[in-house]
Amino acid sequence: MFGVDVGGTFTDVVAIRDGKVEVTKVPSSRIDPAGSVVEGARRLGVADSAVFNHASTMGLNAVLERRLPKVAFLTTEGFRDVLDRGTVHRPLDAQTDPAWRRTFGDAARPLVPRYLRRGVRERKTADGGTLIPLDEAQARHELEILKRCDVEGVAICLINAYVDAEHEIRLRELVREVLGADVPVSISSETSPLAKEYERASTTVIDVIMKLLFSDYAAQLDRDLGGLGFGGQLNFADCAANLLPWEEALERPFRILFAGPAAGTLSSVHLGQAIGRTNILCADVGGTSTDVSIIVDGKPFVQNTFEIEHDLIINALSTEVSSVGAGGGSLVTVSTSGGILVGPGSAGAEPGPACYGRGGTQPTVTDAVLLMGILDPKGFAGGEFELDADAARRAFESLDTPVPFDERVRTTYRLAVAHMAEEILNVAVRHGVDIREFSLMAYGAAGGMLLPSALDLLPLKEVIIPPHPGLFSALGLLSSDQVYYESESAYVVFGPDSAEHINAVYDRMEARLREHLGPIADGLPVRRSFDGRLVGQGWETPFVQIPDGPITSESIQAVIGAFHDAYEARNGNRFDMIPVEGVTYRVEIVVPAEKVDYAPSDEVEPFPAAPGGTLALEFVGPEPIQAEWFDRASLTTGATVTGPAVIREELSTTYVAPGQRAVIGRVGEIIISTHSEEVAR
Amino acid sequence: MHTFPRPREERLYVDREPVARTCEECGGSDVRAYRVLSEGGWWNVVKCQECLHSLERTPAPALGSYVPLGTTV
Repeated sequence: MFGVDVGGTFTDVVAIRDGKVEVTKVPSSRIDPAGSVVEGARRLGVADSAVFNHASTMGLNAVLERRLPKVAFLTTEGFRDVLDRGTVHRPLDAQTDPAWRRTFGDAARPLVPRYLRRGVRERKTADGGTLIPLDEAQARHELEILKRCDVEGVAICLINAYVDAEHEIRLRELVREVLGADVPVSISSETSPLAKEYERASTTVIDVIMKLLFSDYAAQLDRDLGGLGFGGQLNFADCAANLLPWEEALERPFRILFAGPAAGTLSSVHLGQAIGRTNILCADVGGTSTDVSIIVDGKPFVQNTFEIEHDLIINALSTEVSSVGAGGGSLVTVSTSGGILVGPGSAGAEPGPACYGRGGTQPTVTDAVLLMGILDPKGFAGGEFELDADAARRAFESLDTPVPFDERVRTTYRLAVAHMAEEILNVAVRHGVDIREFSLMAYGAAGGMLLPSALDLLPLKEVIIPPHPGLFSALGLLSSDQVYYESESAYVVFGPDSAEHINAVYDRMEARLREHLGPIADGLPVRRSFDGRLVGQGWETPFVQIPDGPITSESIQAVIGAFHDAYEARNGNRFDMIPVEGVTYRVEIVVPAEKVDYAPSDEVEPFPAAPGGTLALEFVGPEPIQAEWFDRASLTTGATVTGPAVIREELSTTYVAPGQRAVIGRVGEIIISTHSEEVAR
Repeated sequence: MHTFPRPREERLYVDREPVARTCEECGGSDVRAYRVLSEGGWWNVVKCQECLHSLERTPAPALGSYVPLGTTV
């Protein structure tokens, strides 16, 4: 089994062979993105692998940085600015700022420049009738202009097309006639046949962009892996880290835009099951940012849409992940009053932190951790290159601030941890959970050296550093099932009279999904859910589970009851007297896939671990302190480490602060807590 | 009391001055210069009338032709 997580800086590759985990890290390449994946596969030997699961931030980074192919957007005449309008929400800090502009508006950074957004004369009504027939002559005229502009792909989103796709289908035929049959086209009635035209439009545009970005890439990957002898299944992970065969993923590729962070959450779910933890806060510390997500009762928090950036919304089932601009590469700067600031700017991969010796002169969090003595300059990234402590020192000395040198380093470390802790607390508060009942799963190569210190700021139950923390997200790709879903919109007030109609919607979707999947879906149950609202509300309560069995005029009351229960669980109150209106309906089939197997060892009484040696930690307190260091590979279940201590492994480092205690758990995880009593395992 | 006559034009419009340029996007030759109100205020644009690509787009004075005395002294 192979799991590959392609990040902006590194491509993480994990292989599991005969129950043994093998890992490698390859620098990502913008010029040849598939090359780094293939190189990782070659290093670990992909020939005998059954599955190759892949997640990439390539599409997301291209959208964020607007390195986009030239695509056109066709919509109903009079609506071509729907992409500029968005949902007309302003972020909180822009409420009183008259100069604030949406970042993706026509005047700023459009996904589609305005001249390529063309109106087509037609109009479907909300009940599926035709108000204005499709004006094919006018449509052809617009398409001729697009042809002269050499557009590479076309997104089509007509008003009310989610009710009746007739005009969109015909318009797609016209696009192929005029622009050529090989030009990728996405139509909203197939991409995301849901109400609300803005989200439908933005999803369709992202879909065609992703088709252009990924189709050659995926085909090249499939071909090159085949060249290495790989004959198994190539899967892509979607925004909730569920797996899709690559040909299936490319039918609606907007779903694979944002896969990496969700994979880490799913990895935490899977590890949590093995070690008996169901309430987990997850923090993935990367170079630029820390991604925080939450697992309650063993389930990640999945949402039906997500925002790529403010008000740029995609209709994709996705794991809720919030980010804060603090990571290992976060830059240290000086405020106007001379104080130390950390992030949100980052040194990135090039030039990287000053200690990388690649020309970076500004200090970063990694430089601070190196100067503190936590990082081993000779063993960084598996010993791939040596860190330059003098360069880190010079970078901190160069800061124009009256703050003494030792305080600069100490404050950098503390601020980075504080930024992450604040976001973790925000996520917990937003979900109304008691942080004392939650474990913090800290991963990403820098997670172990920063986040245990969050125990000084937050009353968390414990911090868990999983096995292979630097590659934990990639491991999540081997902790997932294949999940296929269909969704459809119809505004229906629930009651005995509408039961038949709702049942028909589900039957239709289920038949479509089973037909699409063929024999692999035989015998597998279908999970049904809907997004609904109280009549009069303008927002929905998502993922209300439908009880099993057909929906009839009798059983509809159970569906309505399920909505009120879900509403109460989410919002804390219920309104049984108000009728319920369904908006979006969803069916889902889960095809089990082979997963990484965490085999817990037997319980062992805690015993003191044998250190590999001692080292001096600076800038932790006023004076340097002596600490022990340990080799993680030699620590077995029950081994106990008392802080201050450093636990080293090939691609990561864990720092156990003074007053903390770490115990190796049953699958090799490090459980760090400040409790003096025995750590619960 | 109104000091200007009732407009005779049926619609408000701005004159679009022809510009002797070719659109770099679609190759069209009908390129015109005029002022538009868009996100961020008024803009002087040079646009292709075929594909509507903006060849030039520069911010126009916020108050149009009116120049406050205070800004000139």
